[in-house]
Amino acid sequence: MSNVTEFPKGGCVLAGINSVLGAINRVCPIYHSGPGCCMQTTASDAGQSGHKSSCFVSAVSIPSSNMLEKEVVFGGTNKLRTTIQGAIDIIDADAYFVLTGCTAGIIGDDIASVTNEFAEKGIEIYPIETPGFTGDSNLGYETVWNTFLDKVIEKDVPKDEKLVNIFGIIPYHDPFWSGTLEEIDRILSRLGLRVNTFFTKGQGIEDIKKSSAAALNIIVNPWLFKGPAAKYESKFGVPSLRIPGLFVGATDTSKFVRSVGEALHLDKDLVEKVIADEEKYVYNYLGQAIGVLSWKRFAVIADANNAVGFTRYLANDYSFTPVLVIVSEPIFRPEDKETIIKEISDLEYAKPPKILFLTDQYEINSAIREEEEEITLIVGSSNDREIALEKDSQFILGAFPMSERLIFNRTYAGYRGSLTFTEDIYDNN
Amino acid sequence: MAKVTYSGVRESKPGRLNDLGTTGQKASEDFKKGCLKRADRSFAQGLQCQQINSLAALMSLEDAVFISHSPQGCVGCSIMAVDMYRVGQIHRGIRNVKNPHLIVSNIDQKSVVFGGEKKLREAVEKAVTRYNPKLAFVFASCASGIIGDDIDAICADLQAEYPDTLIIPIHCEGFKSKICASGFDAAFISINKYILKHQKVEKEAGLINLFAPTTVSYADQKEMERMLQLLGAKVNYIPFYSSLEKIKKIPAAEASTSICKVFADEFMKTLYEEYDIPYSHTVMPIGIRNTDKWYRGIAKVIGKEKEVEEIIAKEHERIEPLVKKIRDRLQGKRVFICGGTGRSFAAAALIDDFGMELVGLETPTYDDDAQVDIDYLNGIHKEFVVDIANMQPFEQVNLVNKLKPDAFIGVPEWAAKLGVPTTHVLDGKRPTMGYDGLLFLGNKIADQLENPGFNKKLAAHVKLPYKESWYQEDAFKYIIREGGN
Repeated sequence: MSNVTEFPKGGCVLAGINSVLGAINRVCPIYHSGPGCCMQTTASDAGQSGHKSSCFVSAVSIPSSNMLEKEVVFGGTNKLRTTIQGAIDIIDADAYFVLTGCTAGIIGDDIASVTNEFAEKGIEIYPIETPGFTGDSNLGYETVWNTFLDKVIEKDVPKDEKLVNIFGIIPYHDPFWSGTLEEIDRILSRLGLRVNTFFTKGQGIEDIKKSSAAALNIIVNPWLFKGPAAKYESKFGVPSLRIPGLFVGATDTSKFVRSVGEALHLDKDLVEKVIADEEKYVYNYLGQAIGVLSWKRFAVIADANNAVGFTRYLANDYSFTPVLVIVSEPIFRPEDKETIIKEISDLEYAKPPKILFLTDQYEINSAIREEEEEITLIVGSSNDREIALEKDSQFILGAFPMSERLIFNRTYAGYRGSLTFTEDIYDNN
Repeated sequence: MAKVTYSGVRESKPGRLNDLGTTGQKASEDFKKGCLKRADRSFAQGLQCQQINSLAALMSLEDAVFISHSPQGCVGCSIMAVDMYRVGQIHRGIRNVKNPHLIVSNIDQKSVVFGGEKKLREAVEKAVTRYNPKLAFVFASCASGIIGDDIDAICADLQAEYPDTLIIPIHCEGFKSKICASGFDAAFISINKYILKHQKVEKEAGLINLFAPTTVSYADQKEMERMLQLLGAKVNYIPFYSSLEKIKKIPAAEASTSICKVFADEFMKTLYEEYDIPYSHTVMPIGIRNTDKWYRGIAKVIGKEKEVEEIIAKEHERIEPLVKKIRDRLQGKRVFICGGTGRSFAAAALIDDFGMELVGLETPTYDDDAQVDIDYLNGIHKEFVVDIANMQPFEQVNLVNKLKPDAFIGVPEWAAKLGVPTTHVLDGKRPTMGYDGLLFLGNKIADQLENPGFNKKLAAHVKLPYKESWYQEDAFKYIIREGGN
C-alpha cells in the first residue's frame, strides 16, 4: 500500500533491501531489474543520508541484469543467469543476494530457480523475491531480515548469555546510523555485553548466521521489526526487548540501560555504576555551558524513532518547549501510531506537543506554516529547510533525507550524542 | 520516403553502440569499414536509466510540477537534480531556497493488477490544486510502461479538466534505452509536441538558445553567456533555471547551441527542420581547443566569424601564459579518462592543452560523432584503450590497474582506491568550462597529481570488492556479440 506523495522521504522496498545489504561487510546484492534501479535505490537512501555509501558495492558498482525491452518481452532469466555467474567470478563476496526489480516482478521471472542453480553448486546465494513496488525502504529493512530468518540464520547455535542483537536503526536510511550503533555498542559493552550491530565493526554474514545465539534482541524503534522479532522468538528462541524510540540524552539512555539490565538480569550495581559514570560525563559538559543556548519553542519533523528521541531530549533534558511534532515516515497500523503518540506525549514536565503523521511535503509545509503557536527551532530534513526558511526559524538538519552534511560517525543518540546535538543547536545569530 | 519521426531512443540511430572494448586506432578503422556491431555485456553493473535524465533536465523549471508515475524508488536520483537546483539558487543569491515540486504517484501492487490511472489522476489533481502550475510533466517509468498505463490518453483527458495547466507526458520508460541521454531527448520531444506545437513565432534579433543540463554550474553559465554576449548575442539559457516563458521563446531564436554534446543535439536538429533555426553542434567547451571550436561553431552560425577570431586571439593571449604554467607541471603525464559522452571527449581534448598523454578512454557510446573525436585523438596520442561503457567500474579498475596512469580524470571513487591521483570533470557547482574554467581544472589536476597522499594512503587501507584474479583477466571478457541490444 502506498500513497501519492509529494517529495517522498526514502525509496522503494529495493532501496531498503539495498541499504541493509550494503552495510554488511562483503555482501553483494545482484539486481534483476531495469537499468536504473541500482543508482535510484542507492540514491534514495544512501544518497540522501549524509553522503556515505557502501564501501563494498553500491550504486553503479552493483551487478545488474539491466532489463531492457527484450527481457521485458521474452523474460530475463538468461540475462540473470550470466549476471550471477559474472558476479560470482569477479566479486569477492562472502554471500550474494538476488533482488527483484519492478520489471522482473511484474513479468514474473522465476528468480528463485535461477538462484538455486548456483546455490546447488555450493555458492552462498539467496533470492529475495519482493519487487520494488510492494512498499518503501522500511519494508525493505524488514524484508531482508525475514529473508535472513528464513534462509540464512542457523539453528542450534550454542546460546551466549552475553550476546545481544540490535535492530530498528536502518543503515543508510537513518543518516546517523553508524554513530548511533557505535554509541549503543559502547554503552552496552560497558555492561559486559557483546553486541551484534551487524553493520559496524566489519561485521558480516557469519555474525548474522550466528545471531540466533543471542540472549536478547533489542529493538530500538517504536514500531518497526514486529514480524521479524516474532519469528526470532518462535524459530530461534530469542526474546525481544522493544525500546519504543531512540534515546537521546541522559534521561532516556539511562532508562534504556536499566531496561536491558533488567531483561538480562545483569548485576544492578554494575548497571548503576555505568549510568552514574555516563551521566556524570554528560552533566560535566552541560554544566560548562549554562545559558549559552537561547530558549526555544521547537518543532520536530522526522521518522518516528528520531522524532521520539529529539522531542524527549529537548523537552525533558533541555527544558525547551515542544510545540509540534510531525512523524514523516509512513505508519499504517493504528496501534503503532498510539505507541508513538504515547512516547512523544508522556513528558516529565513539559506540556505535550501537537502530533501529526504526515509524509507528504505539501502537508508538512502547510502544518508548519499554519501553526499558530510560535516556533523558533525546527529540527528536520533537507526537504523541510524550505519551510523553516520561510518561517525564519532556526533550522537543524537532523533527519533523513539529509543532503547538506557529510556524516561519518556523528550521532545525536545516547549519552555522548546528546552533547553533539546540543552543540549543533548552538546559534550565535 | 516518409520522414521517420525520431523516437527519442538513441540506439535507434544506425551505427551507434554501447558495448565495445578496443583501442583508438582500431575503433576508427573498424568504424570506417563498418565492422563495429552492436554487442552486449553478459555481465554488467548498474546503469543510469533515461528517466533519471528526463527528470534532471527539467527539474529546475520554476513554474512546473514534476509527476513521476512510478513506484517511490524511481525518484531516488532526483535528489541530484534537487541538490543542483538548491545549490544553484544559493549561487544565484537566493536566500529562501525553494524545493522543486515533485510528486510521485507511487505505483503499488494494486496498480500493478488494476492499472495506475487512478493514482496518476490523483497526483495531477494534487499538482493543480496545490500549485496551479503552468506546467505539469508526467514521467513514465518501467512499471507504468509494462502495466500498460496509457499516460498520453490520461494526460489528454486531464488536460480538458485542467485547462490552465499544460499537462505533458514524457516517455522515459527505463527499459527502452541503455543510453541515459535518451531521457533528454524524450523530454525535448514532449516540449516540442506539447508546448511549441510546431508553431512559428516572430523572431527576436540576436537571440540564441543555449541548451544546458543541470550539471552545468552557475559559474559556467555566466562564462558561456559572457562569451556569447561578446558576439552581440542575447542568450536564452534553457531549460535549467528557466520557465514556460523562456521555453516558448525557443522558436524566436536566430540560432541554437548546446553546452553538452548529447543534450538537445537531436532537439536542435528538430528546431532547424521545423522552425528554421540553424544550430551549432560541436563539442563541450572544456579546454582551449574545445572552447575555440565551440565558440567558432556558434559564431559561424550567426555570421560573427571575424569577431570571434578577434576575441579568441585576445583570450589566447591572456590565457596561454597561464596554461603554460600548468603545462610545465603536467607535460608527459599519462592519463585515463572516464566520463559521459560530452565530458569524456572534452577532457581528452583538454589534456592536450597540458601536453598530457592519453592511455585510456571510457565513454558511453560510439557513433559517427564519437568517430570525429577519436580521429582527432588518434592524431595526437600513439595508442590508447577505448572502453565503450556506461561506467562499469569493474572494467575500469581492471584497465586502470593494468595501465597504471599517472592521473585519472572522471568519477574518482574507484581509481582513488587504486591509489591513482583523481580529478573530476563533472563538478556542477564549480567552474569547468570556457577559458577560465580551463585554469581551474588544470590547477586542480596538477595540484592533485603533485600531492597524491590521500589516494595512496586510502589504497593501502581500503580494498575494492573485486577478486585478485579479475585484475589478470581481459577487461572486455564479458562483452559478447550475440544478443546485442
